[in-house]
Amino acid sequence: MKLPAFAALPKNFLALAGIVLLAIAISPVAADGSRVFLEIGNLTDILRQISLIGIISLAMTFVILTGGIDLSVGSVLALSTSLTAMWLTRGYTHSVAVAILVAVAACALAGAVNGLVIAFTDIQPFIVTLASMIGVRGLAKWLSSNQNIDIGFGQDLAAHFAAVFRQKALVIGSYAAASAAFWTLLSRTVFGRHVRATGDNERAALHAGLPVRSTKVWVYTLTGLLSGFAGVLYAAENHQGNPNAGVAYELDAIAAVVIGGTRLSGGKGSISGTIVGTLIMGVLTNMLRLNNVDSNVEMMIKAVIIVLAVAVQRGKGGNGA
Amino acid sequence: MLQARDIRKHYGGVHALKGANFDLRPGEVHALVGENGAGKSTLARILAGSTRADGGSILRDGREVRIASPLDAQRLGIGIIYQELDLFPNLTAGENIVAGNLRFREGAMVRFGEMERFCRPFLAQAGLSCPVDTPAGELSIGQQQMLAIARALSMDARILLMDEPTSSLFDDAAERLFELIAGLKMRGVSIVYVSHKMDEIFRIADRATVLRDGETVGTVEIAATSVESIIRTMVGRDVTIAQRAGRGPAGEVALEVDGLTTAKLRGVSFTVHRGEVLGIAGLVGSGRSELGAALAGLDRVVSGAIRARGGFGLVPEDRRVEGLMMRMSVLENGTIAVLPRVSRAGFVARTAERRMLDPVAAGLALNCPSMDAPVSQLSGGNQQKVLLARWLLVNPDILFLDDPTRGIDVGAKQDIYRMVEELARAGKAILLVSSELPELLRLSDRIVVLHEGRVAARYDAEEATQERIMAAATAASGTGARPQ
Ligand SMILES: Nc1ncnc2c1ncn2[C@@H]1O[C@H](COP(=O)(O)OP(=O)(O)OP(=O)(O)O)[C@@H](O)[C@H]1O
Ligand SMILES: [Mg+2]
Repeated sequence: MKLPAFAALPKNFLALAGIVLLAIAISPVAADGSRVFLEIGNLTDILRQISLIGIISLAMTFVILTGGIDLSVGSVLALSTSLTAMWLTRGYTHSVAVAILVAVAACALAGAVNGLVIAFTDIQPFIVTLASMIGVRGLAKWLSSNQNIDIGFGQDLAAHFAAVFRQKALVIGSYAAASAAFWTLLSRTVFGRHVRATGDNERAALHAGLPVRSTKVWVYTLTGLLSGFAGVLYAAENHQGNPNAGVAYELDAIAAVVIGGTRLSGGKGSISGTIVGTLIMGVLTNMLRLNNVDSNVEMMIKAVIIVLAVAVQRGKGGNGA
Repeated sequence: MLQARDIRKHYGGVHALKGANFDLRPGEVHALVGENGAGKSTLARILAGSTRADGGSILRDGREVRIASPLDAQRLGIGIIYQELDLFPNLTAGENIVAGNLRFREGAMVRFGEMERFCRPFLAQAGLSCPVDTPAGELSIGQQQMLAIARALSMDARILLMDEPTSSLFDDAAERLFELIAGLKMRGVSIVYVSHKMDEIFRIADRATVLRDGETVGTVEIAATSVESIIRTMVGRDVTIAQRAGRGPAGEVALEVDGLTTAKLRGVSFTVHRGEVLGIAGLVGSGRSELGAALAGLDRVVSGAIRARGGFGLVPEDRRVEGLMMRMSVLENGTIAVLPRVSRAGFVARTAERRMLDPVAAGLALNCPSMDAPVSQLSGGNQQKVLLARWLLVNPDILFLDDPTRGIDVGAKQDIYRMVEELARAGKAILLVSSELPELLRLSDRIVVLHEGRVAARYDAEEATQERIMAAATAASGTGARPQ
């Protein structure tokens, strides 16, 4: 271990490995003697279940790296589910691609509005996105008249869409592709550098002539976009557009990012950390459910895990002069 | 009084100290000198209990002691004034003094009367005349430093460690500090004084200990040595202090500022030509840094005109606040402003990036454990070099250098002077702010003196002297001032 910057990573992986081992150890045993947790079906279920939050938390990592936060992701996801379902079931289009594009573009636009307000005023991101969390939820409910918009199982366009986009392979594949893209974006591109520089020291970034404003706008736009895409997957999986979907998703996404070692104050963090954080939460949930732990108890246990995970990472370091 | 024996400290693979020895006598001012990264700050931090040594021993009055925390140091009568002052800006002067102070018994309730009675004498001793309830953030840097000294005195410090205390002070505030130090010395307080400024050291210090690469190379009586000899010991070779070089005639106008007025500036006018170095003198708060911000478009211009021919670059004064991304690496900090040059389709080509920074870093004699180390791990002077490297890469036509040699060692300073002269020769227009008058006189073709946001005087290189500049900067009304 040469670079202290990597020190956070193995700790994450250790925590994940520990939880996986625990999950294996306490896993219920099937009739044929195999451990339920390790069954391929169960493992892929975990991946599928974490995919939506996982996708959102990739973009959330960028937002938090700039020193911001986005509370509106759950509402934006709900908007996307509603728009997708409306477009597909009400004959506005005959193309699945157009429906998806409309939903995702609308969500990216919502994100861009967040970003513009944050970049061009000095209202804090927390407040701006708190407002849009409320406002976008309202928009989703208003557009759908506060109704779930069901997607059937027949032969129509909507059903066809759902059948394709709820496949495990596609959902997990999307998460994997988005992960690779965002990892590359952060660690290999000029944009990624600007994101980190902005969060590390915004005044210095301005002095260095970096495009701080457009970086912020892009980061929130990307978050809107990915939340919108997660909404598309949600609509397919649940066979409906649901204006009440995604409540508290922002908290799960933030938790995954923070467990992954990204600092809420910005400037330091990684996509790989976030992925590990997401996996930790996913495996934990799965483990508790397999063992029939009460879902309220599950929340309490998660609370402890979040604090522990962050404490372990902070344990060392932080002694800057 | 205080002895350090064979102190060792390493960070990862970097040996910051590998055998530092040090011996402080009662009532002396003992300078600690060495190149950037020699380990001076590390040694000071160890003596003050904010960093733990890996090995070696510390003796207080001949008895071995353990200094594991700042509280231990306080009990042993050791106080420290950090270079980056560690005051709480939103607390009052009094609250800053009593916070964590073992000599002040804090009850559950804050007792303002008692706090005031406790603080008064120490503020007076430090020469600070502000009310006890002034927020620390409202004091000037010089006053904040006095507050930090009052705080140390109130902890009954018999030994004061000062890490580059004058690097952010202009001469008049530095002068007051020297008087204070002389007074403390009379009362038997010993002072460890870390500085890169030889003139100061020869003025106030009794002895000097030289550190090189983490080792003590010797301790000398100031009376029995010379600047050259100390520098030679520091660097391990001779350093030629080049005199002011003659420069060719200045070229066309590169920057024209006309009646510039902002929140802090009042009708500032001047021109800078290509190939010229314009010195900007003034006290802290005179508007010299605000001038840079206004030219860079970071401050709102109320009225007046700025006409620039070519790109403008600003090397800011406060490297931590406005310059560096402390958690990012040396390489990333160096190249952040010119990434498009080493990237294709938005992707950074990392070998090209490194190849671009390497020669510039070498030219500045940047000393860092690795290009991938976070800048927070570099010594103060080397952090400054990273910032300079960034702007050398940008290479703008007009460069505003705001105190570029702050915290930089003697040898490297010469490199930076040479660099400034080369830039001017290459046709760049340079604006140079410096807290050190000799530096301004050494480099500038012309000097503009600011006082309370106005141009108080202008001088050509030949007519400028330290005395005249000081007089204009402190507005000993009108002396030498020449209306435009
Ligand atoms: N927290 C840290 N982590 C890693 N390395 C460090 C850390 N602090 C200091 N160092 C290294 O220790 C060495 C000595 O640093 P130190 O700050 O003591 O130098 P200095 O003599 O005060 O220099 P300067 O004159 O530039 O302030 C440097 O090489 C520096 O990079
Ligand atoms: Mg230092």
